[in-house]
Amino acid sequence: MDAAPPRPGRGRSPIRNPLDFFGGIALVAIALVAFWAARDLAGSRGISFGPGTAPRLFAGLLAAAGAAVAALGLLAEGGEAGRYPVRGPVLVTAAILAFAATIGPLGLAPATFIAILVAAAASPETRWREAVPFAAALTLFCTLLFRYVVGLAAPVWPWS
Amino acid sequence: MPDLLANLALGFAVALSPVNVALCLAGVLVGTLVGVLPGIGPVASIAMLLPLTFGLPPTGALIMLAGIYYGAQYGGSTTSILVNIPGEASSVVTTLDGFQMARQGRAGAALAIAAIGSFAAGTVATALVAALGAPLTAVALLFGSPEYFSLMVLGLAFAVVLARGSVVKAVAMILFGLLLSMVGTDPQTGAPRLTFGIPELFDGIGFVVIAMGVFGFADIIRNLEAPRHQRDVVRDRISGLMPTAKDLKDSAGAIARGSAIGALLGILPGGGAVMSSFAAYTLEKRVARQPSRFGAGAIEGVAAPESANNAAAQTSFIPLLTLGIPGNPVMALMIGAMTIQGIIPGPQVMTKQPELFWGLIASMWIGNLLLVVINLPLVGIWVKLLRVPYRLMFPAIIAFCCIGAYSVNNSPFDVMLAGLFGLFGYWLIKHDFEPAPMMLGYILGPLMEESLRRAMLISRGDVSVFVTRPVSAGLLALALLLLVVALLPVVRRRRQQVFVE
Repeated sequence: MDAAPPRPGRGRSPIRNPLDFFGGIALVAIALVAFWAARDLAGSRGISFGPGTAPRLFAGLLAAAGAAVAALGLLAEGGEAGRYPVRGPVLVTAAILAFAATIGPLGLAPATFIAILVAAAASPETRWREAVPFAAALTLFCTLLFRYVVGLAAPVWPWS
Repeated sequence: MPDLLANLALGFAVALSPVNVALCLAGVLVGTLVGVLPGIGPVASIAMLLPLTFGLPPTGALIMLAGIYYGAQYGGSTTSILVNIPGEASSVVTTLDGFQMARQGRAGAALAIAAIGSFAAGTVATALVAALGAPLTAVALLFGSPEYFSLMVLGLAFAVVLARGSVVKAVAMILFGLLLSMVGTDPQTGAPRLTFGIPELFDGIGFVVIAMGVFGFADIIRNLEAPRHQRDVVRDRISGLMPTAKDLKDSAGAIARGSAIGALLGILPGGGAVMSSFAAYTLEKRVARQPSRFGAGAIEGVAAPESANNAAAQTSFIPLLTLGIPGNPVMALMIGAMTIQGIIPGPQVMTKQPELFWGLIASMWIGNLLLVVINLPLVGIWVKLLRVPYRLMFPAIIAFCCIGAYSVNNSPFDVMLAGLFGLFGYWLIKHDFEPAPMMLGYILGPLMEESLRRAMLISRGDVSVFVTRPVSAGLLALALLLLVVALLPVVRRRRQQVFVE
């Protein structure tokens, strides 16, 4: 689902709009994966739809639309593929995954604290002397708000 | 008419109970608070705050959610005007003149006229919803599966017209959304579909998960890339909150026209609020004596789109409450909230639960009133909030979103999936694919499949049923017309012009 961003070469290729070309190709790939995943689902029997009818219909149409986007990317001049920074996307995603991984074993407060700190590392502007106390205060606020006001059913600490 | 008054009286009796007024106020306040955070629009706000309403009775929960919606919408306008960051698609147009006004030190007047225009538009729209609710419900009962299907096709065609940039890419995004909506258990046979054997996917991918990922997280990743001066902006003091008599006189016409456009377009499924703000701005530019003032801080350029998007926000409840079709992602969340409360949206809501239906309508007007009352004095506080530097703001937003995504199902898997959708959404932005049509496709997917299935059963497999029934044929013809128009070069150029300064 989350296809790795393609990194098109610049200038020399015959592809006139790499953004659209690779974007379209990725959609075709997604559609093919969906087609493959729906291979065991029964299709239509007579006039009644099977569970596989609509997924295959939409996947087929998506493949066609993706191919059209890619074809237009070959024909029409357009956007240069931008640079892909690493730090922001990786650390923001890492912060979210860290929260997902720690909320169960460690509880709400540690998971929130860790997620905020990992997220903070995503920006070069972060000042740690400011970020750590801020994370602690925000964790306290979130814990009080979600656990005691909203009534979220999650343990707050590993031992609770 | 007497019926209408009696119904409205019932509605106000429900909405004015102290508990419901308090819930509406809380919703508006929290909605504005979250909505002013850059990068968090109404969808993400409602997604984050939805769990707050789980413990409430149905009417109270929906009233609070509606309050959150208006609050978030207004909060989005606030950031458009003050920092040139639209909180959501429907306030993109507001940035054009609103931010220019703020730069000229007239942020107060812009914010006030946005609030006043929204209130005026809200009043018109509330009346319209009340008046049209009953007749449209009657029409809804005449709708069969083919008509439902064609209406949704029309809604998706609107989404294509509205999307910026390439029409083909918007179509592709809709199809991708439709495909995403197939993940989960087939409602008719119980067969798991496209789940890759992952049990957590058997219930489908949650709306909140996708919305938070492609709107919330993806926006944060993109903002981190933007140069600093584009993010934290408010430096100057806001002087003179109140608009002058001349401002009011100048914008009165714009508010009236904006309300009318918004109220009409909001009824159509498929993102009425966005289209109406865009249409209202274009119209004002057309009728103005000096069109050149637009883009340089014309107050009509704020008044018209703000009135229009608020009117549309309200009338977009009409397809939801009468047909059970969510016209936009926010309405889809409302459906989610209704289902959680055990209400099936559709024509039967009005007849079976009149106090909920009319209470919600009355609370729309009360919500708009509260917005004006609380926001005029609170503008100073919202501005202070915006002075929090982005380096502190974004980890906080991530924390809120993580907890929010987790709280829907108490599921760490949902949080993880939201993170992956964030990365995917960032990739979409990088490749100029718009996530909004994808969301709409995702929302309408299950309804479309069901009505298509039923239509095929009823017609004994004859596809021509969609064009032989007059209403269905008319809707499809309109959808086709829209797509053709969107492909016309003249319209394409104009579509881009409005967004490029």
